Amino acid sequence: MRPQSAGTWLALPVVAALGALCLAPLAILFAYSFFSVDFVTISHDPSLKNYARILQSETYRGLIARAFGSGLLVAAITAVIGYPVAWFLAKRAGAAKTMLLTLLLVPLYSGDLLRIFAWRVLLGAEGAINRSLIWLGAIDAPLQGLLFSPLATHIALTYNYLPFMVIGLWLAFESLDDAWLEAAADLGAPGRDRFRRVTLPLTAPGLIAGGLMVFVMVVGDYLTPQLLGGASGVTVISAINDLFGTAFDWPLGSAIAWTMLAILMLCFGAGAVLIRRSSLVAEGA
Amino acid sequence: MSRLGTLWVCLVFGFMYLPIAMIALFSVNTSDVMAFPLTGVTGQWFAEILGDGRLGGGFLTTLAVAFPVALLTTLLGAAAALALSFYATRFRVLFAALLLLPFLVPRLILAVAQLILFKELGVSRSLLTVIAGQSVIILPFTTVIVASVLIRIDRRLIEAAADLGASGWSSFRRVVLPLMGNGLMAAWVIAFVLSSSEYVLTAFLSGRQQALSVLVASDFRFDLSPSLNALAVLIVLGNIALVVIAEAIRHRSGRLN
Repeated sequence: MRPQSAGTWLALPVVAALGALCLAPLAILFAYSFFSVDFVTISHDPSLKNYARILQSETYRGLIARAFGSGLLVAAITAVIGYPVAWFLAKRAGAAKTMLLTLLLVPLYSGDLLRIFAWRVLLGAEGAINRSLIWLGAIDAPLQGLLFSPLATHIALTYNYLPFMVIGLWLAFESLDDAWLEAAADLGAPGRDRFRRVTLPLTAPGLIAGGLMVFVMVVGDYLTPQLLGGASGVTVISAINDLFGTAFDWPLGSAIAWTMLAILMLCFGAGAVLIRRSSLVAEGA
Repeated sequence: MSRLGTLWVCLVFGFMYLPIAMIALFSVNTSDVMAFPLTGVTGQWFAEILGDGRLGGGFLTTLAVAFPVALLTTLLGAAAALALSFYATRFRVLFAALLLLPFLVPRLILAVAQLILFKELGVSRSLLTVIAGQSVIILPFTTVIVASVLIRIDRRLIEAAADLGASGWSSFRRVVLPLMGNGLMAAWVIAFVLSSSEYVLTAFLSGRQQALSVLVASDFRFDLSPSLNALAVLIVLGNIALVVIAEAIRHRSGRLN
């Protein structure tokens, strides 16, 4: 068998599975986004009504904007926290590297639910942080704003997705040749310039890749805001869920879902272009 | 600089393990209230969880889903990884993008989309729909794991096999397959863990038989009992054991080559 045809035959079942269980459902969802609800039945006359409703509705526009705002915020926070960690793992950890990487990934595998449960135990009015602060005499009454707030949601989101950012950055640091930094130092560049003009541009592909992963996952997160956000837990994702459940407006839900998918794909395309460009810079360096 | 880095890494790892440490602590604390100061040590919460028949049934359902999902995604992931990294495949970039798609699409959107498809096709919700739905989102992970092992295989071994007259199939079976075995095992374990902890797709696609994650989610919405801590500790310990085994297997394969 020629390698070319072997590869194609191997890819075939995978493409079939993804086509049936990912592409086909999304295509049907796309079709539904042009339908409308007529009392309790779904009318199949295509129209752009649903998209017009989203454009006109301040609520939906606000929810969509907030989802992407959260995505950017958490991507930025994880980048700041993760950058030194990735540097340490690649350049300073030595023999402990494998163990530290495994340790970093282990909490990921406990599942979203358990991690959210743990944060609820930590942040609640009767929770560990409040009680310990009272016990230590730092505060008199429990801090109410800790749980069921955007703060709680964003702490847990940062916690959930930090490992993805660290992995993306770590890969970039692994391929960063220290000789460039030594050369810059020999040429008299101070530490700040070495970071800004050598380290940062050379690790930019990892930063963008990690940021993109975190961004996408935060935008699509359903459980965390739902279970930790309280009144702020209404997100565009939970709105889609409601439209498919109690509100019974599948077409509008499909239209919102596809608006989100379209924006996400644009972000991904832009990210891919940026990564390619910054990798060219990294190769040319 | 290095010392500051060490301190920062310790802080970040502390942050990553703080929630897990807390649930472990409260899972053996006597008080009903999950708060400091600690009151005493008990095994009561663990006994409560282990004696709970409903959760036991959920656990069996989880296993009934996780075993086939892990097998299916490992096989498909291996095929995808081979097509991507070992054999020249037509439309490679498009294929890679397609593989990434389930990871890019928000879980809830994929879940409702699959729900509509199943409804249109007249397929009722069952463990089979859960297995199908979960497989798609776990596939990108198994592909990456198998590919990370394939990348480290020395191509010269295959060229040598071909020079010695081995056909494509026999060089695959006798050279590539043994070398990727560890990657397959690691992928299977990770897929198993991801499947057992998945909530959104499981909740949307399951029928009457409910998996452990769905039962835990409903308990967790209504009452926050310390026995949930004990359950969480058992699940986390089980997962840690599996992941450590998988990582050990994967890294051992790196050393072999």
